[in-house]
Order: sequence, then C-alpha cells, then structure tokens
Amino acid sequence: MKTYNAKPADVEKTWHVVDAQDVVLGRLAANVAMILRGKNKPTFTPHVDCGDNVIVVNADKVRMTGKKRTQKTYYWHTNHPGGIKSRTADQILSGQYPERVIYKAVERMLPKSKLGTQQLKNLRVYAGPEHPHEAQQPQQLDIGSMNPKNRRSA
Amino acid sequence: MSRVKRGVTSRAKHNKVLKAAKGARGRQKNTIRVARQRVEKNLQYAYRDRKQRKREFRSLWIQRINAGARNNGLTYSQLMAGLREAGVELDRKVLADLAVREPDSFANLVEQARKALPAGAKEDASAGRGAM
Repeated sequence: MKTYNAKPADVEKTWHVVDAQDVVLGRLAANVAMILRGKNKPTFTPHVDCGDNVIVVNADKVRMTGKKRTQKTYYWHTNHPGGIKSRTADQILSGQYPERVIYKAVERMLPKSKLGTQQLKNLRVYAGPEHPHEAQQPQQLDIGSMNPKNRRSA
Repeated sequence: MSRVKRGVTSRAKHNKVLKAAKGARGRQKNTIRVARQRVEKNLQYAYRDRKQRKREFRSLWIQRINAGARNNGLTYSQLMAGLREAGVELDRKVLADLAVREPDSFANLVEQARKALPAGAKEDASAGRGAM
C-alpha cells in the first residue's frame, strides 16, 4: 500500500470567511494559518498547496489581551543607518491599514518558504465588514466560538 | 603480458562519478575533483535519509490521523488511547490511509475509540478541545 500523495490537480480549494470582531489575535491567526496550510484535512501533503482560501473581515476590531494593544511593537529597518522604525499595534489598528496586524500575525505563523509565501496569498484581510468575494460563495467559519478563550478579554 | 595504460581505467572511473553527479550545480557536475566530493556527500545523505524516511512518513501519518480525528471531535492522543482501549490494532499507516480514502470507516473507528475512553477523558473531549 502506498501512502496517499495529493497532486495539485486533486486539491479542492474552498473559501472561508472569518469575522475577527472581538477574537483574540494570536488564536485567530493560528486557526487561519492552519486552514491556509491545509493541516485540517486528512489529505494534507507537505509539499503541495492543499490549503483553503480565507477571508477575514472586521480586522480592525480584533482583540488583544493584556497591554499588547499599546505595548506590542512592530519594527522594520529602512537599511539606512539609524533607520530602525517602529509602530505599536494601536497605531496600526487606528491607522490607514488596520488589516496589517492580522496579516502580519498569520504571515509569521506560516513557513518561511516559497510554498508558505504562496499560501499567504490565499489570505484576504479586510478592515470593515464587507468583502468583494461573494462570487466564491465563502463558508462562514466562527473561530470565536470554537473555544471560550478565543474571545477572552483583558 | 601486454602493457596496461592507466588512461582507460581512469576514464572509466571518472565517468562513473560524473554520471552519478548529473543534476548537480555548477562545477559539481563537470569537474572530477568537485564532482567526487559531491557524490560522496550525496551517498552519505542517501544513507541517512533511508532511515529518516521512516520517521518522516510516520510523522506525516500522525498529522493526517490528527486532522481526521479532529474533524470527528477527538484529538490524536485521545483517538490513539481510545483505540488501544477498544483493542483496535491498526497501525498509523493504515489509519492515515482510512482517513484519506474511507472517511466513513475512519469515523466509525473514532466512534469506537470514543466509547472505549474512560468517562473522565470523554468530558475533556466534548469540552471543545477536539474541535481545534
């Protein structure tokens, strides 16, 4: 008997829509990353993109526990001397692109490989409650009620 | 006794190595010195990976069984404990194959495992840990 090996042609990619309102950031990202990788399917094949597409809405209303909203800091370097810059999560969430907080969290949970980069492209994050993917008929996925801790405040 | 010149033997030896180095990068596929180093290292990797292959497949089977079990409301560890209690002696290779090709019989096995679990463990399973 040979172990099953999914071919890219066998993979059926479905769409999920996730409401991020009041869901804890890391718990949301962990579940989204798992779906993007396809580890929730018994047909999971490590070298094939067998994950689904995920749409996240209300990304600006994601919850962060403790003092992370004001203290969690995102750093990047401009490659100029002294070019280290930073923004706190609060600044990004109240700025022009609040969806970057969730995007970054999921990106950091995916493998840093060509496959991981490709799987990250199957993630769409939107700040408001609207998304332009109705034609794909996404299934509602309620991460908040999977575990009582997923909506934990404070 | 006829005279033996070395060129023929060397050529044959070199061709053997260069043939094994096909597909390598840069000078590793053309130059006998570098090609020999590459081929020797590759044989070491091949020896090691014949053993690692067995571990990698086992861990892949476990990942697939876990995905199938969680779709049916148990975690991997609960499923394996339950199957042991229920006296099911299928190995991980077969279980993973059932999860992929025969989801219904796999769901049946999960049900058997759930029934065989002691009462306390079942509470944990239904408390949502099984979902994800």
